[in-house]
Amino acid sequence: MSAVYGPTLPEEVAETPVSPPTSIRTLFRTYPRVAVASGLLLLLVLVALLAPWIAFHDPIATDPSNALLGPSGAHPLGTDELGRDLFARVIWGSRVSLPVAFVAVAVGLLVGGAIGLAAGYRGGLTDLFLMRVIDAILAFPALILAIAIVAVLGPGIRNAMIAIGIVQVPVYARLMRAQVLTLKELDFVAAVRALGASPARLIVSHFLPNLLNPLIVQISLSAAAAMLAEATLSFLGLGAQPPTPDWGFMMNTGARFLNNDPWLALGPGVAISVAVFAFNWLGDALRDALDPRLRQ
Amino acid sequence: MLAYLVRRLALMVPVAFLVSVAVFSLIHLTPVDPAELILGEEHSPQAVAALRHELGLDQPLPQQYLTWIGRALHGDLGRSVRTDQPVAQAIAERIPNTLELGIAALAWSVLLAIPLGTIAALRRGSPIDVLATGFTVLGVSVPNFFIGILLILTLSVGLRWFPPGGYTPFSESILDNLHRLVLPAITLGTVTTAINTRFTRSSMLDVLNQDYIRTARAKGASWRQVIWDHALKNALIPVVTIVGIQVGSLLEGALVTETIFSWPGVGKLAIDSIFGRDYPIIQGIVLVIAFSYMLANLAVDMAYAWLNPRISYA
Amino acid sequence: MKRLAVGVIGAFFLSACASGGGGTTSVAATPKAGGTLKVAIESELRTLDPLKSSQRVERQVYYNMYESLVKIDASLKIKPGLATAWQYTDPTTLQFTLRQGVKFHDGTDFNADAVKFNIDRILTAASSPRKSELASVKSVEVKDASTVIFHLKKPDAALLAQLVDRAGMILSPAAIQKGGAGFTLAPVGAGTGPFEFVEWKRDDHLTLKKNPNYWVPGRPYLDEVIYRPITDSNAALAALRTGDIDVADSGAIADKDVATVKSDSTLVYRSTAGLSFGGFEINSAAGVFADMSKRQAVALALDRDQIIKNVSFGVQTLSNGPIPPSSWAFDPSEKTYAKADANKAKSMATGFAFAMKTPNDPTDIQIATLIKDQLSKAGITLNIQVEEFGQVLNDAEAHKFDAALVGWSGRIDPDGNMFGWFHTGGGFNDGQYSNAQVDSDLEQARTESDQAKRKALYDDAQQILVKEVAYVFLDHGPAQEMHSTKAHNFSLIADGMGRFGEVWKD
Repeated sequence: MSAVYGPTLPEEVAETPVSPPTSIRTLFRTYPRVAVASGLLLLLVLVALLAPWIAFHDPIATDPSNALLGPSGAHPLGTDELGRDLFARVIWGSRVSLPVAFVAVAVGLLVGGAIGLAAGYRGGLTDLFLMRVIDAILAFPALILAIAIVAVLGPGIRNAMIAIGIVQVPVYARLMRAQVLTLKELDFVAAVRALGASPARLIVSHFLPNLLNPLIVQISLSAAAAMLAEATLSFLGLGAQPPTPDWGFMMNTGARFLNNDPWLALGPGVAISVAVFAFNWLGDALRDALDPRLRQ
Repeated sequence: MLAYLVRRLALMVPVAFLVSVAVFSLIHLTPVDPAELILGEEHSPQAVAALRHELGLDQPLPQQYLTWIGRALHGDLGRSVRTDQPVAQAIAERIPNTLELGIAALAWSVLLAIPLGTIAALRRGSPIDVLATGFTVLGVSVPNFFIGILLILTLSVGLRWFPPGGYTPFSESILDNLHRLVLPAITLGTVTTAINTRFTRSSMLDVLNQDYIRTARAKGASWRQVIWDHALKNALIPVVTIVGIQVGSLLEGALVTETIFSWPGVGKLAIDSIFGRDYPIIQGIVLVIAFSYMLANLAVDMAYAWLNPRISYA
Repeated sequence: MKRLAVGVIGAFFLSACASGGGGTTSVAATPKAGGTLKVAIESELRTLDPLKSSQRVERQVYYNMYESLVKIDASLKIKPGLATAWQYTDPTTLQFTLRQGVKFHDGTDFNADAVKFNIDRILTAASSPRKSELASVKSVEVKDASTVIFHLKKPDAALLAQLVDRAGMILSPAAIQKGGAGFTLAPVGAGTGPFEFVEWKRDDHLTLKKNPNYWVPGRPYLDEVIYRPITDSNAALAALRTGDIDVADSGAIADKDVATVKSDSTLVYRSTAGLSFGGFEINSAAGVFADMSKRQAVALALDRDQIIKNVSFGVQTLSNGPIPPSSWAFDPSEKTYAKADANKAKSMATGFAFAMKTPNDPTDIQIATLIKDQLSKAGITLNIQVEEFGQVLNDAEAHKFDAALVGWSGRIDPDGNMFGWFHTGGGFNDGQYSNAQVDSDLEQARTESDQAKRKALYDDAQQILVKEVAYVFLDHGPAQEMHSTKAHNFSLIADGMGRFGEVWKD
């Protein structure tokens, strides 16, 4: 599930270097959407961090005689088939979904970035070969590739992170490569190199700032896609395994008990939707704010 | 243009090779011996050794790969571990069902997205626009299995208007087939609708700002005329190309949608095969999907380049 | 006018009889010929050849297509099937008199040669699950066209019960030979049963049609039986309620939905004690459970009632041993571990941990989670290891486990629930339990023909193996019958098999 907002070709984005916003405060003031979306995301992260204190119940402790109860004062969302408090499980679920999304995006960013960097900088056969590997990854629809990898490696959170990370690699590889290719051609690079500046300095002072804007947007959208992918894998039984409270897996259970107690599915379903929406919304808002081409 | 096509095809060859190697190695990366898998509960060491020889698993890997790819090119993708049916046949039987679902999803998606996106663009900033834009973000954020579950909960378990799944072939009853198609098609098409709405809106906005539109308006053409003659046709060009990319999203969505609604398509077969450890089928499906997707992407890139010659593919 | 009134009253009467939701099927009405019965089964079959079969769901189809030498009735008594009479001329010689005038679906005659062909086929197979079932058979002799003699290596009291199931199913030799390699998927003309094979579209449907030359006159009533594998229990329940499906195999409907079936007035639900036992295997030979006190601690700490109530909503019944209440060998006095006692468990052994291989099935995972919590109250730590069901079986067979959540579908004769499981070196004895007294009891019971004496032997063996915790018993499952009120005349037998030879539809 690559960024689904239509083809923003990395090459096009890289062609127009944009200076980063002067400060975050200015950004928030000029684009209130970014502020609100950031706020929502911050709230989510806080919920995940503060889960042990917000949850009020143990998400794993079973209470079989109180199974499948509807919402009540003691249990705001009711209980699941083993009598566990659903609200607590939904809260704690964020501690699985958020880290998985972050790790997967980090994997994609670092591995993909390295590949893109190498391909763009070295050029020639290295570029040709590496880009074909990237094309090979892109030959599969993202979820299908992730599922195939997990089918081979075996189910579990760790393998899900690896699979989703691999799926994220191409976007960052292309982004990085396009940026490198563009900058390579600019005159001032040749001049600076002639003056003896090291590649590392070039990267830090000239290359990264231009990359920052599209990168931030992409990271946000990737995180959304990664979270959705993890939820789907877990829903299919290929991701987090019980008794870990995971939103996707909880929906799988919820689907089974739909006739008996619909809350089992509704709670985690809303949670996933809100979390993914937060990331998508932020990425969307940031793109509008940071990319001048899309300004209307 | 032709040069571009030739170049693209040439580049596809190593990619196709890499893809086939990756798919081939699927069955060999598993922790369980494939021969043991196929024999199931009756695996004595002698039987396993005999089957390994019969399947050619005791040959060196490169040779196995060549045999496998040779057979695959002839349409022989092996046999299912669970049912002993030829893989190619199992897949071919189910493609029409997935196609039916995919086409239905795409159809209602386009029927809804184009008007919605157009109106949103025309009434930019209005409540309709805000709602439509909100919908596009929400539509790609809500997992499709949640949508499916919600539909089942409300329209099937609750109101009893639709069955919660299953499939009736056309030959038995067209009406029943269509009746069961509704919920899965809505589920599968939601993401696509959101994307298409978004894209229609933005490309419509692009087009509406063009000079030739303003000129036409200045010359006194009515909005209706302007939209129909100029705006829509030009705005649709990129939408048409993005519809091609939807194939990937529909394939992904089909996996989960078919599973929830017990729709006997390629997606459900894939998921069932994963849990049934039926690797020949998994391999076959992944191979078929990957190559179809590659060809679809090639076609889309061709169309995009042809329609929009400003983008140069250096 | 009068006729109309009678008709109306009559219809009223009939419908009142027929729509007893959750009650018994009406037998007052006259059977109607014709109709198609649509059956939901819990998963797809792998083979239609009894020689190769290893799944319970396959038997559901076999019992309508094929017939065995002997059958069972509702009280599990052995009755004539394709054999009309049998006797032991001496303890190792079993003679069958075969039914006359029976033809296979392909038109060839059922006779002694056919019986010999089928049994030899099992005896000479390179590998087949049937071989261990006929382990006591040395050879089969054809005396004349309707007499067949089994020569046994040693006496086997359980043999007749084995011949009720797949080991005794007689198929047409001509059909087997004609079918060749494809026979396992398309056994055209192979059976003698009320229905014959038409077609099998994997993962979609399997169709049987009425056998016009069935040896029971006037049967079957139905024209067709169509099996559909529905793996999602919610979908199966919905299909049953909407009438998409007339009958649901009990494995297709989840225990949690049984209450819904019972309360639906368009459906019929009946149940009786079954043959199965559920629980988990325990490794007595190696690892943490080689110490018996630890096994006993676990068995004592387990709260079976809680599990049965929470997971199956009371559909399963508590098990105290391998022999279910439906069997003549059932011992009601066996109650060693009936009540959970966490304190007593702690006094036996505490403060240890073990791993339980759990099949990747939501119900199994639910059970394992509950057990984990229960054991923690006794200071015992359970680590749940979820694996593919096939993988769990592999690990169990390789003795690489502490505990494995595997049950047994059950056999008619108590030997089937005991010998393979608890005799030293038994085919299902993955935990490698070994007790000389149990061994001798089971061997004797196999060769002993007096039922009272056999029961005494099984009582003794059961007491020992339960006390020593050769297996941790959890529950017995019921045999269930779930179908639309429009379908009538099912026979509810403890083996839970759907036999449709007498069934008719409105």
